[in-house]
Amino acid sequence: MTVPEMKAMEERMIADLFWLSPIGALVLSAVVAVVLALVLPRGRQGLVGAWVVGAHLSAAALAAACWLDRPFRAVMEGTVMVDGLSLALTGIVGVAGALSVGLVRPMAAGTDREGELYAVLSASSLGAVVLGSAADAALLAMALGLLSLTSFIMTGYLRRSVRGNEAALKYYIYGTVAGAVMVYGLTFWFGFAGTTDLAAIGRAMGDVPVLAAVLATSLVVVGLGYKASLVPFHFWTPDVYDGAPLPVAAYLSVLPKLAGLVALARVLPMALPDGVLGWPTAVAVVAAVTMTLGNVAAIVQRDIVRLLAYSSIAQAGYLLMGVAAIAGSERGVPALVYYAIAYAVTNLAAFGVVLAVQRERGSVDLSAFSGLGRAHPWWTAALVLAFLSLLGLPPLSGFVGKLEVFRAAIDADLAWLAVVAVINTVISLYPYLRVIAPAVLGEPASGSSRRLPAGAPLAAAVLIATVGTVVVGVGAEPLLRLADAADAVSSQ
Amino acid sequence: MPWLTVAVVAPLLGAALAPALPDRASRPLALGGALVSLLALLATLVRFDAGSGMQLVEEATWIPSLDVAWRLGVDGMALALALMSAVIFLVAIGYGVGPAPLGRAAAALLLLLEGSTLAFFLAEDFFLFYVAFDVTLVAMYFLIALWGGERRRYAALKFFLYTLVGSMPILLGIIALFLASEPQTFDMIRLAEERPLAGAGAGATLVFLAFFVGFAVKTPIVPFHTWLPAAHVEAPTAGSVLLAGVLLKMGTYGLVRVNLQMLPDAFAEHALPVALLGLVSVLYGALVAMAQTDLKRLVAYTSINHMGYVVIGVAAAAATGISGQARELAIDGAVLQMLAHGFVTAALFLLAGFIQARGSRELGELGGLMKPMPVYGSLTALAFFASLGLPGLAQFPAELQILLGTFDVYPAIAAVAAIGILLTAALFVLALQRAFLGATPERWRALPDLDRHELVALLPLMILVVVLGVYPRLALDVIASGAWLEP
Repeated sequence: MTVPEMKAMEERMIADLFWLSPIGALVLSAVVAVVLALVLPRGRQGLVGAWVVGAHLSAAALAAACWLDRPFRAVMEGTVMVDGLSLALTGIVGVAGALSVGLVRPMAAGTDREGELYAVLSASSLGAVVLGSAADAALLAMALGLLSLTSFIMTGYLRRSVRGNEAALKYYIYGTVAGAVMVYGLTFWFGFAGTTDLAAIGRAMGDVPVLAAVLATSLVVVGLGYKASLVPFHFWTPDVYDGAPLPVAAYLSVLPKLAGLVALARVLPMALPDGVLGWPTAVAVVAAVTMTLGNVAAIVQRDIVRLLAYSSIAQAGYLLMGVAAIAGSERGVPALVYYAIAYAVTNLAAFGVVLAVQRERGSVDLSAFSGLGRAHPWWTAALVLAFLSLLGLPPLSGFVGKLEVFRAAIDADLAWLAVVAVINTVISLYPYLRVIAPAVLGEPASGSSRRLPAGAPLAAAVLIATVGTVVVGVGAEPLLRLADAADAVSSQ
Repeated sequence: MPWLTVAVVAPLLGAALAPALPDRASRPLALGGALVSLLALLATLVRFDAGSGMQLVEEATWIPSLDVAWRLGVDGMALALALMSAVIFLVAIGYGVGPAPLGRAAAALLLLLEGSTLAFFLAEDFFLFYVAFDVTLVAMYFLIALWGGERRRYAALKFFLYTLVGSMPILLGIIALFLASEPQTFDMIRLAEERPLAGAGAGATLVFLAFFVGFAVKTPIVPFHTWLPAAHVEAPTAGSVLLAGVLLKMGTYGLVRVNLQMLPDAFAEHALPVALLGLVSVLYGALVAMAQTDLKRLVAYTSINHMGYVVIGVAAAAATGISGQARELAIDGAVLQMLAHGFVTAALFLLAGFIQARGSRELGELGGLMKPMPVYGSLTALAFFASLGLPGLAQFPAELQILLGTFDVYPAIAAVAAIGILLTAALFVLALQRAFLGATPERWRALPDLDRHELVALLPLMILVVVLGVYPRLALDVIASGAWLEP
């Protein structure tokens, strides 16, 4: 290598560093958090949370800076994609991760490993971003491993909680098996192409016997589908959300899920270009089954956390519509990006209110929500807005999100999927109204206090998430344009 | 000036301001907001040209990617209904709700309801249309739940759930029309012109049914009416006035604006069953009203009867084979009936509220009221006669036009519907006799007659009822459905 060549390479790598800066911010977030957790006294561990919030928001800001410095590109020898999808995911992870810290803080405050929890959360966010950016099979497997491991730890954070431990164990076993299956599938892909580069795998896929390709791809989808809790890899979801600390469940319902979906949206078109093997149809079927099962199962839930778990499964189905449309329409990616933003703020707002109610009333049963409106009008307003957004009423963000995925599906000749989704919207009216109606209209349970003992971080997080739920919908135009620009995925 | 925007925004601005101001400022603020709306609509009326369809459109970009915009516009129907709403809101706010004087919360809710109602009637964008529709539900829910009668929470719940669930199919229909249009749009003017689902067979039928069910709950058409009596009985007087006088028209307005204008082919296929449902509403409403002894329930059921005529008229206009002249007659009549019913029923609910405030609204307990309360008695008699369709009062020309128009395609339905008028005549005359004639029971002898506050609320409505009855052209020249029915 000549000197000018080395110089050029050095410059390239330095330039790459800028493009990797959002990921760097999350790495720094985790590392510094570990150190801070060690040196700060127990009473001061909240500072670790503040650091992690700042680092997450910086990651989001850096993602925005990368976005402005288009064109999108692949960096690190083509293993990490910096494009609309990954930057949008980074932005969402940054903001949603910061909000999650606000949800976590009241639960973790004063416990013995509070700071470490924030460190693990940072590492989890890092795993989510890398999973959504990976254009390389090996990196994909590593990211999934990081994301899973950190999720298990957070789920079992409350050591003395039997249900928490059970949930963590269940999540761990399920997750390890799913991860192993995915890695197994990736080895087939590696075998087809002789490289872990997904683009090269995509070029090699044309010469592979159909059966082998279908089998290998199905195995890969297992791991990502499990993260996104798609049917039939969703069985862990209600139990884990129910058993995990509620703020952790909120985190799991947004960040790893969206990372899994974004990874699907990247991996499938890259490894299976031009919709070979009819994967868009297969994904559309999974989307239809996922949303239907989620909404139907949500009908019978009395426990709000389980209801939200099934609701999040259903939402994954709507999100997956965007993935299914990617091969057939340029609206697929924008729809996925917009819906992901809307879903992140909406679901965090919903979980935040449920968390506050759980802290006051010690229950997340449907009956605990009766008469909430009398005692806590503002919290109830947040709950109603979040649930109506999940249901998809204008002008809330959930409506515009649904509209976008419907359009994408129709544009990709998947009109039947849009019809299924519309029917699902009707079904979902019942579970959502079942919570809202008694909350707004019911008589309050006796002995409820005037103020929810929520704490400022939780209240702030819910306020921001709720405002986001409304603003993302009413002021949808800038985000829609942004999402449109995200379609410029570089598949170089 | 964008007068339509002013008409919508003035009350909304007032609603936002009301909570921040002291209670004594609430009444002037609310009256001011409502007055500004009315004046802005009158300014629109001056510029309005009845011969040229949808006009005076005000448009501001909102979400161009989805072709959602702040679009307001008027044709004869929208302007007539918006004007009617503004008048009734002024009356309701002047009369007040809850403990006098009007509090901050009540003022904010009434203004929110007015702003969203006007936005609904003036909206030419489905996004805005739907949001306005849902906001009216929320505002009305709180009006009933906070200031209603004994079982207000039950009634409010029933009202809210029925109409919210009813709004869901409307939303799905809107989504379907959006997705079917090319390029996709929420612009109601374009959707009415281009009719993306024209002749689309089963799909169009499904969308038609979705809209129909949603609007039928709101109107209400039998068998979707069960929320109405409960809501009316428990609502505060001003709430009933607004619910019956204004909000019910949203259902029939939607039936014309969406089902008739955007899905005429599907409507033509189903015009007969819709007309029959309207006929059932006419007869059922009248018969059940006959059996009521509670004055508010009685008026509530006659609302089902009167709105039934509107449904019949709209269905007849949608039927294939109707002549152009009969079609205009039916729609003109239907819109006029909405206006007439708005004023008459608002007056009736005010009258029921007045007597309730004096002790009872049970017909069985009342009697001989004409002696202690001659003004109240005469005005009630006038309102009753208007409601039963006496010539010279507002509902007569409306019902006559509807029946004449309907006779062109469904002579049998028109003939049977006319029987409904006889039924309402009988029930009102009976009620009049029980409450106002005969001997006056001891406890009612010293009842005070209407005071100035009550007269100020009632008289504008009564005057309009008489004026529209004597000179219906005043409204018909504005409505002029021939100009806008076919865009």
